[in-house]
Amino acid sequence: MGVVNNKNKSFARGARLAQLGAGLAGSYLAYQLQRPFLSDEKQKSRRQSLNNKQATSVREELQNLRGPIMKVGQALSMQTHALGPEWIEQLSALQMQAPPMHPSLMRAQFKSAFGKYPEEVYRSFEPKPFAAASLGQVHWAVTPGGDEVVVKIQYPAIREAIESDFTLLKTAGFAARLTGFLKDSIVQEAQRGILEETDYLLEAKNIEYFQKALQPLDFMRTPKVYRSLSNGQVLTMSRVPGMRLDEFLATKPSQELRNRVGASLMRLFFFQLFHVKALHADPHPGNYLFNLDGTIGLVDFGCVKYLKPEAIRCYGLFWSREWLHDDDLYAEVVHTVFGRKAAVKDAHVRRVMKEIAGFYDKFHPLTPNPPLLDVGDPKFMDSLTELARTLIKNKFLSADFLFLSRTESGMCNLLHILKAQLPSTKIAREYIPVITNK
Amino acid sequence: MKEKPRSRKEPKPRTNKAPKPGKRDENKERTKERILDVAMKLFQKHGLDGTTTKQISRQAGIAEGTLFNYFKTKEDLALFFFQKETDSLIEWFRGEKDLQRAPLAEKLFAIIHRQLEYLEPCEDFIGAVFFRSLQPRSKLSPLSLESQEFRIKYLKFIKEVLSEAEEEKEIPPLGDLGAYAVGLFYIGIVTHWLHDPSNGKQKTLAILDRCLQMGTRFVKKEGWEW
Repeated sequence: MGVVNNKNKSFARGARLAQLGAGLAGSYLAYQLQRPFLSDEKQKSRRQSLNNKQATSVREELQNLRGPIMKVGQALSMQTHALGPEWIEQLSALQMQAPPMHPSLMRAQFKSAFGKYPEEVYRSFEPKPFAAASLGQVHWAVTPGGDEVVVKIQYPAIREAIESDFTLLKTAGFAARLTGFLKDSIVQEAQRGILEETDYLLEAKNIEYFQKALQPLDFMRTPKVYRSLSNGQVLTMSRVPGMRLDEFLATKPSQELRNRVGASLMRLFFFQLFHVKALHADPHPGNYLFNLDGTIGLVDFGCVKYLKPEAIRCYGLFWSREWLHDDDLYAEVVHTVFGRKAAVKDAHVRRVMKEIAGFYDKFHPLTPNPPLLDVGDPKFMDSLTELARTLIKNKFLSADFLFLSRTESGMCNLLHILKAQLPSTKIAREYIPVITNK
Repeated sequence: MKEKPRSRKEPKPRTNKAPKPGKRDENKERTKERILDVAMKLFQKHGLDGTTTKQISRQAGIAEGTLFNYFKTKEDLALFFFQKETDSLIEWFRGEKDLQRAPLAEKLFAIIHRQLEYLEPCEDFIGAVFFRSLQPRSKLSPLSLESQEFRIKYLKFIKEVLSEAEEEKEIPPLGDLGAYAVGLFYIGIVTHWLHDPSNGKQKTLAILDRCLQMGTRFVKKEGWEW
């Protein structure tokens, strides 16, 4: 019975995806046909509007499909930044807009996962969710001991649905259509990551690891896990104070506060990379909470990447740019980014490496007394997007590097929205160890 | 016309000493419930066919003959189980004030989920009953007159729920067919639930919700026209 249903469900989703693919191909063909007759200016604006139209269409389709496939689309596009900013904007909207479980389904699911109804477990429980995630939703509650907590409840049978959706993705070639140039290992990495996100006990472990590891950063606030009120599908955590980014900006924070918060975000990134040696790798703005005293709350530890030493070292080399003058270090960076088999002297590889160096010259100038970096400047974000696109086109990116680059882009995106101006070089030097030839 | 002589077996007129009819009915109902309770546990343990009437009467603390006064067959016991289920469902729903304000899809989800919860402790028994109800001569068959009482009661209840949504202009008028459609859908869901291997039978929850969301969306749009 279950098998038959799965097939039917997959078939229905397949049909929707095929429809989506056809829709995209249709409008792309129309654009290609018109292209020779358009001026450069017009071509650019037409392409922009096509991208916008496609991005909205993908978002609407993914939203209709709900659940895991939505997460897949979102993860693939966000993780790889293979898509332009207009796509990222549409897809990141999904996380906040996923249709929530109604109270009756939520109660039924809670009982199925926890063996009791929420009102039997907590002193009080708010049946209306305050946030909807694509794999679950979050409710306010009060523990029997009187602590104010948040409770994350997973959608029913999400794991099975993800597995069936990935089978479909591989057959429908949807990933390739969505992003144009994704290799299988990246799709597999996304599947592994998303499946990991469905295990709330793993998330509890991540929270506890980060809570301890981030203690030296006095501006960071992370939740505490209530183990006795949590399991694989229900996660009870303490409330982390703070406003969402849009709410924070609505209070019209001063430039000084924006800069301070921005500098803290950058410190958080470097501290995770070089001291914690693991990354909170879901850079969605909704996962950061901001306070007027400059403290930052970090929530949702479903996607955490523990990094290999070579990836950390490689990143250190990027920043120090020692590799530009040392052939051995250059080869090491090339091999970490593109894989062992990459030809160091290949002209294409050299071009990409030059682009990387160019980006970090903007992000982290090594000139004496560099000016403050204005991350609010759209040109800076454009150069980041361009670099990301170049990298992904190479298909050789290692998974560690992928997460690293995704988190870095996420941080830059937050800094950009904050319009922060930062002494980026000074901050980088506080954290990045001097790396020389081995 | 000759008047027949009164037979010796004919019941005597009631005297003042006899228990009041209300009290007697109450006692009778309590005994029926006790038998049902015992029988359910035995069915769950030994199966519908593996349980004997002797076992039921012994555990219920009554004579085997008395058991037959209450339930002629094991199928009668099963019918009583479903009557109780329908009654308790309707009573529960009317007491859920928050649910009365919920959209139709959520109301139907809560109703069907409540039914599944009722069936949960005796899942094996339900499986056996489903199999038995496929036999045309069984009292449990959907076509048997004996099973009509609780079925009609259930369908009327569902129709009431649908009518409330019709009055609120949430859906166009569906007539009796709406209630029949929900009834058939419920049977499909129970069949899926019985065979659902997922953790906590969560696949059934997901399918139940998605089907109801989709079904009500279709009906809202076009009524029966689609």
